[in-house]
Amino acid sequence: MIHDQPNYGLKGFSRLTSESGLFLRNSFGSLFSREFLKVLIPLLVLWELLPRLEAVPRTLVPTLTDVAAAFWDLVANKKFLVHIAYSVGKFLAGLSIAIICAIPIGILMGWNMAIRKHSLPLFQLLSPIPPPAWVPLTIILFGIGLPMQIFLIFLGAFYPILFNTYQAIKDTDPRYLSSARVFGASELTLIFRVYIWHALGAIIMSVKTGVAISLVMLVIAEMYGGRSGIGYLLVEAKDFFQIPAMVVCMLVLGVIGWFSIEILKFAEFKLAIWKVGA
Amino acid sequence: MIEAKRISKFFSVINKDGVAEGMTACLSVSLSIEAGKIITLLGPSGCGKSTFLEILAGLQAPTEGEVYIDGVRVLEPLPSTRSEIEEYRKKYRFLSPLANDLFRDRPKHDIAMIFQDYAVFPWMTALQNITFTLKLRGLPRGERDAQAGYYLNKVGLGSFANKYPSQLSGGMRQRLALARALSVEPKVILMDEPFAAVDLLTRERLQEDLLKLWESSGVTIVMVTHDVSEATYLSDEVIIFSPSPGTIRNRFTINVPRPRRRDDPELAEIQQRIGKLLKYDLDNETEYTI
Ligand SMILES: Nc1ncnc2c1ncn2[C@@H]1O[C@H](COP(=O)(O)OP(=O)(O)OP(=O)(O)O)[C@@H](O)[C@H]1O
Ligand SMILES: [Mg+2]
Repeated sequence: MIHDQPNYGLKGFSRLTSESGLFLRNSFGSLFSREFLKVLIPLLVLWELLPRLEAVPRTLVPTLTDVAAAFWDLVANKKFLVHIAYSVGKFLAGLSIAIICAIPIGILMGWNMAIRKHSLPLFQLLSPIPPPAWVPLTIILFGIGLPMQIFLIFLGAFYPILFNTYQAIKDTDPRYLSSARVFGASELTLIFRVYIWHALGAIIMSVKTGVAISLVMLVIAEMYGGRSGIGYLLVEAKDFFQIPAMVVCMLVLGVIGWFSIEILKFAEFKLAIWKVGA
Repeated sequence: MIEAKRISKFFSVINKDGVAEGMTACLSVSLSIEAGKIITLLGPSGCGKSTFLEILAGLQAPTEGEVYIDGVRVLEPLPSTRSEIEEYRKKYRFLSPLANDLFRDRPKHDIAMIFQDYAVFPWMTALQNITFTLKLRGLPRGERDAQAGYYLNKVGLGSFANKYPSQLSGGMRQRLALARALSVEPKVILMDEPFAAVDLLTRERLQEDLLKLWESSGVTIVMVTHDVSEATYLSDEVIIFSPSPGTIRNRFTINVPRPRRRDDPELAEIQQRIGKLLKYDLDNETEYTI
């Protein structure tokens, strides 16, 4: 036991590296699988060749090397990374506020009928409004700045998480509730030890939906009212007709979305290990 | 001492034409069970045995009637669905559900229950399932692991403590449910077909274990089973339910002293009588449905 003590930090570190290695292989590894490479490489070659051979106009469709060069230029310019950091920051802020608000409200609504009856109609009325329709009002209310952007991102994730959480909690198998009750569980214990666990898979699923919609809202918000972020870069590139830069921005957005979904999958795997049976 | 006084339970079910129909699961069942006895309920499938057991445990509200354990009334959980609220309003006509002294100071009864489909928590390991129930019963943290381990060993799951229920077989899950119920050392154990999914040898071993436990602790056991020989071998009294509506049809007191032999001629004779009775009910029912 005593011998293990000094090693502890090192162990934690090697655990971290091995876990993140595992994560990267399980998430983005699929891009470089032998099967997909057979598709990816020809695609990249076509992308390079078609504009070069003028099969498509090169001014409109940049080649792979053009895009790579644009990417390199942007990365060399530190501002690009700052813009990405801004976007990621806003995205995380909006998404976390949505998670922090929606999950507890959803749990309360699913757990108690009185709470449900007092609140559900309001959400049912507001949620069908497409989030982009909120843009004009939000701009007037918050001005064009960080609060408005974060609010729009929040709005994209809030309703899917809320409704799915509420539904999953409400559908908790009554057998599990009974079997905890018979041993004397209080309602609070039921919430923390039964309801939440039973609904966990559905809640994580709903966060995935939320991520997709918030990403849409991120781009919209930055296009409308930003001085920063990838959406802003996208508009700027359009104004200067820099097509390669636009492609780079789009790909970066794609990677951000994919990465968030994979993180959630990983979290699901770690939290719901009892389902997988590992 | 468990007393069930004229328990009736009606369900309203929506049939395929969208019309609500009444359905009687139990009709006026009165039963008093002395402390420290083993009682089994026998009856054809769907006659309301599980429902009756859940009413005894205070998990469902009887439509009419009351249950008392040691003279203290057993109350159902507060209503949460629309139909439960409606039922509640009818039953406690002038009482609002939340401001109701009867419910606010709900007495906790020392009951454990094994459900027909086990209902062990799939998100907890075998050990955690038991330590969680021990925690609910207020056992101090330091003693939980030891006690949980003791009962896991008792049902032969000692080496599966850290497995999740999805990694256990059906019979093992059943034994886990048994260990969970025993571990809290309750005054009353309600069991809904606890040994249905294990092989004959394991079943007999578990029966012996149960009897040993019962002898040493004096717990009251109410058990639902479909196995007539199990019923007669274990219990002091066998209660036969008749189907639709579920009522008590017959009661057999079994006075054979313990330890009993499984091939005791007296038991065999009672078994035959019970078998005839059940067969008669079944035959009658098929006559109706044809
Ligand atoms: N929540 C419910 N809503 C409507 N009907 C119900 C409900 N629960 C049980 N019933 C009905 O009550 C009757 C009794 O059910 P119960 O589960 O008590 O039977 P059982 O005697 O335990 O049968 P088995 O031996 O097959 O377990 C059944 O006909 C069932 O359809
Ligand atoms: Mg049953």
